[in-house]
Amino acid sequence: MKTKITELLGIEYPIIQGGMAWVAEHKLAAAVSNAGGLGLIGAASAPPEIVREEARKCRELTDKPFGVNIMLLNPNADEVAKMVVEEGVKVVTTGAGSPSKYMSMWKEAGVVVIPVVASVAMAKMMERAGADAVVAEGMESGGHIGSTTTMALLPQVVDAVSIPVIGAGGIGDGRGFAAAYMLGAEAVQMGTRFVVANESIVHENYKNKVVKASDVDSEVTGLSTGHPVRCLRNKMTREYLKLEKEGAEFMELEKLTLGTLRNAVIDGDVVNGTVMAGQIAGLIKKQQSCKEMIEEIMTEAEALLGNGGRR
Amino acid sequence: MLERVKEIIEEKLGLDGVEIKAETSFKDDLGVDSLDLFELVMALEDEFGTEIPSEDLEQLTTVGAVVEYIENKKN
Repeated sequence: MKTKITELLGIEYPIIQGGMAWVAEHKLAAAVSNAGGLGLIGAASAPPEIVREEARKCRELTDKPFGVNIMLLNPNADEVAKMVVEEGVKVVTTGAGSPSKYMSMWKEAGVVVIPVVASVAMAKMMERAGADAVVAEGMESGGHIGSTTTMALLPQVVDAVSIPVIGAGGIGDGRGFAAAYMLGAEAVQMGTRFVVANESIVHENYKNKVVKASDVDSEVTGLSTGHPVRCLRNKMTREYLKLEKEGAEFMELEKLTLGTLRNAVIDGDVVNGTVMAGQIAGLIKKQQSCKEMIEEIMTEAEALLGNGGRR
Repeated sequence: MLERVKEIIEEKLGLDGVEIKAETSFKDDLGVDSLDLFELVMALEDEFGTEIPSEDLEQLTTVGAVVEYIENKKN
């Protein structure tokens, strides 16, 4: 399937793997890129040298394009921004703010820049700042989220900008892909489905929790602090939400989640850890290779779209 | 200028009846998040016919700072 995004990125299928903190490391990114999508390394709050190493290792595993997601609130963002240029990374996606201060450096190096946005105003600002495309991410997503749903956000962003738009949030299969395509998306970004990929280094406990999750199993913590995060409910979310209801201070809430994403992803502590996942977790029933996932999604989506969007 | 900026803030962010002064902080007093700020900036640009690049957003911490910023841009 050819779209503006497959052309822009030089990839086979318009599927991008989300730049999830701790989860999106080189093995997963390379597997997605090798399967014809675009894999991303999530820089999150990792030290720049670790991200550099991840990019190099990814390059050893694939000769296809891959990208790096940079979390702009991270104090290391400046260094990571420079590093992607030095390492010849071709695609950068950004989260948590505006990457405009890096734009001229990246453009000069020929880096494709794709900010993740959660509103029309933000999408317009990013287009003006020189972004090549945007990811419009609805609040169905796992991890840090905005407040508008994909269904409502995506067509509004598509109408507001003339650069290609990638749909994200709540997409887990070919039907989700086709729906996003019908709303005007030129590609989709998926996170939760790739969490359970065979190539994903995520702890088995975490993968099992995602596979077993139902449609109503996610909660949003941090609404009171202005940094909402979607994750699967467990002991941590119950305590967090209780404290939040009681009007706990930011620092007290922070203590409850500091380092807990790592504890869940790497050590498999899915009781006290932060198990970030999107609302689509309920749809995800099995572990597969990235190649199987992507081919299954594309086959289903193409059949649906060729059939007027009906099974 | 301050009056007009206040009206835009009230209208765009649904803050009718909330006291807004020059020293009012977007984050601490009004609970404005980054998405709201993008929203507000787009409206201010339309109103005052000036461009506010996103790298300047971090300067705009209070209502007074916005007024000052736009006045500087205009001159």
